[in-house]
Parts: sequence; C-alpha cells; structure tokens
Amino acid sequence: MEAEAISRKDLRDGISRRGFMQIAGMAGVAVGVAGGIARAEGAIGYHAMDLSDEDLTQMLRTILRIRWHERTMADRMLSDPNYRAYNHFYAGQEAVATGVCAALRNEGPFDQIDLVYSTHRPTGHALAKGVDMGRMQAEFDFRATGINGGYAAEMHISDPSVGFIGADGMIGPGHVIATGSAFAFRARGSDQVSVVFGGDGTYATPHFHSALNNARLLDLPFIYVLENNLYHQYAHYSYSCPHTDIADAARAYGIPARVVDGQDVFQVYNAAKEAVDRARAGGGPTFIEAKTYRYYNHWGAPGADVGQLGAFGYDPLAITSFRPEREVRAWMQRDPVDIARDTLIDWGVLTAEGAEMLEAEVRSEVDTAFAWAAEQPLCTPEDGLRHVFVEGEVIPRQIA
Amino acid sequence: MTEKTWMYSVLEAVQWEMRNDPAMTWIYELTPPVATNAGMPVINLETEFGRRRVVNTGIDENWMASAVLGAGLAGSRAATYIPYQGAGMPYQVIQNHAGKLRHMTGGKASMPVVFVIEMTGQTPGFAGQHSDYEVDTIYAHIPGVRTVVPSTPYDAKGMMHAALRSPDPVVFLYPAGLRMLSEEVPDEPYEVPLTRAAVRQEGSDLTIVGSGAGMPDVLEAAATLTSEGMSVEVIDLRVLKEMDTETLVTSVAKTRRLLAVDQSYYTLGPAAEVVARCAEAVEGARFRRIAFPDAPPPASPEMFTWMRPDATRIADAARKMV
Ligand SMILES: Cc1ncc(C[n+]2csc(CCOP(=O)(O)OP(=O)(O)O)c2C)c(N)n1
Repeated sequence: MEAEAISRKDLRDGISRRGFMQIAGMAGVAVGVAGGIARAEGAIGYHAMDLSDEDLTQMLRTILRIRWHERTMADRMLSDPNYRAYNHFYAGQEAVATGVCAALRNEGPFDQIDLVYSTHRPTGHALAKGVDMGRMQAEFDFRATGINGGYAAEMHISDPSVGFIGADGMIGPGHVIATGSAFAFRARGSDQVSVVFGGDGTYATPHFHSALNNARLLDLPFIYVLENNLYHQYAHYSYSCPHTDIADAARAYGIPARVVDGQDVFQVYNAAKEAVDRARAGGGPTFIEAKTYRYYNHWGAPGADVGQLGAFGYDPLAITSFRPEREVRAWMQRDPVDIARDTLIDWGVLTAEGAEMLEAEVRSEVDTAFAWAAEQPLCTPEDGLRHVFVEGEVIPRQIA
Repeated sequence: MTEKTWMYSVLEAVQWEMRNDPAMTWIYELTPPVATNAGMPVINLETEFGRRRVVNTGIDENWMASAVLGAGLAGSRAATYIPYQGAGMPYQVIQNHAGKLRHMTGGKASMPVVFVIEMTGQTPGFAGQHSDYEVDTIYAHIPGVRTVVPSTPYDAKGMMHAALRSPDPVVFLYPAGLRMLSEEVPDEPYEVPLTRAAVRQEGSDLTIVGSGAGMPDVLEAAATLTSEGMSVEVIDLRVLKEMDTETLVTSVAKTRRLLAVDQSYYTLGPAAEVVARCAEAVEGARFRRIAFPDAPPPASPEMFTWMRPDATRIADAARKMV
C-alpha cells in the first residue's frame, strides 16, 4: 500500500501513479502530500479517490454529524440538569465508523444489506450505518418513540432496518455472534457481510479468539474492525494485550490484517473496501486495526467543559496507567474532522466555504434532532412488561 | 469505631488478611482496589502489595475466576473482583468446577477462594446487560459454593474476613446500589458467620424477609408499618447458600405470616426458597411474595421504577396480610 498515496492535484498535473511512486521512492519520504494531513501508513489509496464527489462529501458529512451529535450531548450533560441521557462518547473516532460503513451496503431489503454489530460506544457506528439521529436521541432520553421504545438506552440501541444489529453492553460475546450472521450468509449463498466493531479491550476476551478462529476455519464473510483507542476504561491496552499491533494476533489466526490510521477516513475506507470485496467474493474474513483515540473519558463528560471539545486532566481514581493530558492534546492535533475536510479541499472536491456551509447545515440538523427528542412522550410504566415473548403476558409480580 | 462506606469496610478486611498472609493475591479488572474514607488512610492494595500480588488484568472474567480457583488449588488464598457487567461470565467455572471439585475429588480439593461479584439491577436507565440482579439466584443455586449477599458495611467487612478464612469457595455478592451506604464499622478484624441470617427488627404480626439491595426498601416499609401500629419482624437473609432455615422458621412460627421480597426475578428467586422452607415447616401460616417481574429490566426510568418492588409496594403487600 505504501506509495499509493497520491493527490488529485498530482493526477491533474499528469503524473502517472507509477511515476509518482518512483519520485516518492527516490525522495525517500513519506508521501504526505497536502500540508497538515497526517497519514500513518503514508498512504491514501485509490478506492476513496475513485468515489464521486458526492460520496466523498457524504463521508465528511457523516463525520460532522457524529461530531456535532457528540458535542451537543456533552454540552447537555454538563449544563442541563434535566438532561437524562448518558453516554460513552465516540468523538475522536468518527473516521473509523464512517470509513467502514461507507464501504457497506446500508440500504435495501434486510436480506441484502450488510450487518454491523456495535459496542457500548455505539453512536458513531449507528449514525454511520444510517440510524435516524432524532429517534436515536429520543431513545437515549428514554422516550416512548425512541428507536427502541425506551427499552434500550445508549448501550443497547438497535435498528435492523439499516443493518445495525446493535450496540452491545458486553465486551466480547457480540463478536462471536457476528460470526454466526456471517455463517448464515455463507450458508444461504448471500453476498452480505457481517462487520463487528470492537475496542482494544476485547483482545483479552475469549470471544476475540473464538470469533477469529471460527471465521477463518469457515472462511466467513466477516470483518473485524478493532478500534484501538489505547485504553480499556482506565487501563492502557498494554495491560491486557502483549502486542503493539493487535493485528498481529489476527495474522496468527491466518486472517489478512491491516493497521490503518483511524483518524483518516479515506485510509479506513480503503481498507474496508478491500475487506468487503474479499468477503463478497468468498475470500473470507479480514481484520482491520484502526489506531485512534477517544477525546472524552470512558463514560460521561467528566473533565470536559461546555463548548469545548475533549476532556482533560481527569484521573478518577489516581490510576497511574490512565492517560496523560499531553497525550489527549497530541491526538487532537490529528483530528478526523480536519483531516477529512483538508483532504477534500486538497482534492478539489470542496471549497473551504463549502465545508463551512456543510458544517452549519449539520449543526442545525443536530439541534433539530435534540429538540425533537426532548418533546417526545415518556414511556408508559406498564409497558415494561411487554416484548418479553411474542405472545403471552407477564404478571406484575412487584404488586401483591 | 468509625463511620465507613461499604467498599472501605470490605477492603479493610482484605488488607488485613493480605498483610497476614504474604501468599494471598487479588485480581481485578477495572475497579482498582482503592478506597478512601474521611479521616482514614487511603487503602490501595496495588501500591501496598505490588503488582505481583495485585493484578490489573484484561477483560476476561472467566479467566479471573479460573485463576483464583487455580491459586486456591495450588495452596494460596486468592480473591477476585468481578465488575457487574461481567457478573455472569465466570458462572460456568464456578458452577462446574468450584462447586463440584471438593465433592468429586472425595474431599481432596481445597479452594480457599473468594469471588467478589458486583451486581446492579436497582438503577434505572442502564437496562439489558447492565442490569443483572438475577445472579443472586443463579449463584445461590450451586451446591458447594457459599453464596452471601451482605447489605450493610458492618456485615460486608465481617463476612469478607470470614469468606477469606473459609476453606470453601465463596461467592461474595456486592449489590452496587449500596455503594454509598455507610455506618459505624470497627477498625479491628471480626467475623460475621457465613451461615446465619440477621434479624433486623423483632415483631409478632408479620415476618418480612429480604436481602441485598432490597434491604433499604424492606426496612423503610417496616418503619412505615411500625408507625401504623403493626409489629413487624424483619429478616435480612444475608446468606443465600446455605440458607438459614432455622431463623426463618422460628420467626414465621411466631408471626404466622411471611412476606418474602426479591429484587431478583420472581421465578426461582431467593424469596421462592424462603417461602418453600417455611411452608414445609410451619403449619397454617400465610404467605406472600413480591419480586421483580419475569421481564428484563427496561431502560426507561418510568417503566423500571414501576417494576421494582419498592418500599410502598412492600408495605401494601404487608397490609393485605394482616
Ligand atoms: C464482559 C464485560 N466485562 C466488563 C465490562 C465493563 N466494561 C465496559 S466498557 C469496558 C472497557 C472497554 O474497552 P475497549 O473494548 O477497549 O473499548 P473502549 O471503551 O476503549 O472504546 C469495560 C471493561 C463489560 N461491559 N463487559
């Protein structure tokens, strides 16, 4: 992949890909073309560049939707005592969900769309897969018209209509379950793929190893996207995993694996596109490790201030292994919003003004979603006994 | 004596035992063994005993439980703290190994180990896999494993000493809803037996039995009923396995009325066991039980709080019996 990075500008200037590689090789430099754009593998491949301007802009829009949804949630949590929702923030990791879901089939009949299994940090995955923002927000706020009727709240949201099988409050089990969906696809001759997101913390679970082993043994159309944000709760991943790249573990299972810069949506997309193509063609599973970072703390918004992105200087229990503030600030220098926007401007897809307009549009969409959610009706207490089985009644045993 | 929180009391016991047994170990996953209490020294087992004995591990509760079991079989006392999200994960190793090993080896296996298992279920808003109070029922079902669920800091400390000194494997359930509870707790080590229920209040009209996170509501209901003139006996089960039949039967033989309360699901919960034991032993008594309905806990506070057997519902049920 090394030298596949090439900017539209170079193409416009008539340098062939081959020629460009030679120049880059001779110069012996990493191929960062546009100033300020960070590229961990030094590569922005062709798949993203083959997309239409509309599709590319859509990726930036998705990143912005996740970002402003996050920031609005954080501000509400910090400033509005009546705001009831809680969150595991995804800010900082937006490019991962966006890049992966952009390579998936998200619309159409249920037996044709690709499925995504999410984590306890699900908002980004949900929005990228196409879950309605207003109804998701209503769910977070425990409203009757929320996407799961107020039963789920953040850690358990689900919307199969867009292939979002759902958030998972547990670390591990969903990964094995996701291989079961992939098994079904293969058995019925479908070209659908099953994608699971997981944090670095999942490495230690037995489920991580079971999912990869069985996916490889059965050559399942399964994609494991490991979002290595360096921490499982308040412990650095070196406390639970001996590898620098968790992808090495996947390779040991015989699964093709890639490490990508999780801050760069196009790099993530390229890896996902290859993985999806392979899975659809019967080539089996892929593992993608995206190096990324969460700007807020594990849960909620401690250490954050209203109107400001990210949480700093918060060490809840004086845990020595928890992240230093310097590290947070360093990662925020390589922000997925900035990287996506600057790249699109650099590629001539958008102008700076166009990007600003897009962001303003997104912010107003987010505000509308929050306002709508806040007006939704609360749940009816007795409905807590519904949806246990398809038929039959549950008796309210709390009442004698 | 000092006013101490639940967790401070528990860690005080662990610290004392670890100081007196250099072989003892503690494995945790995300709840560091750290506790503070006003005017008291900070307890931090990791800094005091070092990372060789106190291990911060990855997310694998099955390993955590298996590892302390293995330590016990190798002759070392060991304990692990399983956070509530992982409460069910070690079930298999506790049920199939810890519970059966002594018996299946003809008494040869020794397991001086403690599984501290956090459980939630009294908190609206979390739902699904983050609301798991039923583990009291499933762990209490296992023979060969002592299962306790202290509801006060005093009991928690005394039962932790007893659990760590016990040659049997002990599941030590920690109802996370009681996190903020505090009371006077002695600084010295002491034991609360792993075999006895506690009579929290004496009375002659009615026996109310509860446990764990349900106790604050049971006590509140009892206070209301007492102020209305009813004479209520309150029993805190405290030990689920082996359940203290004698204390239960003695009380119900006196009051002839039993109301059993569960925070767990109705079907097969501890309250069902309480009623069955008393029904077998006491002729002509009246029985009722209330529990969380057989439905998973929903997120919405409106739905969830309606489903909980709270103090008002406990008092209502009691009034119907007397
Ligand atoms: C089986 C299980 N054990 C423990 C937990 C508690 N828990 C919730 S999130 C979390 C850390 C997850 O870390 P990681 O997978 O790296 O994801 P991140 O939060 O960093 O996105 C833990 C331990 C859980 N949800 N499930």
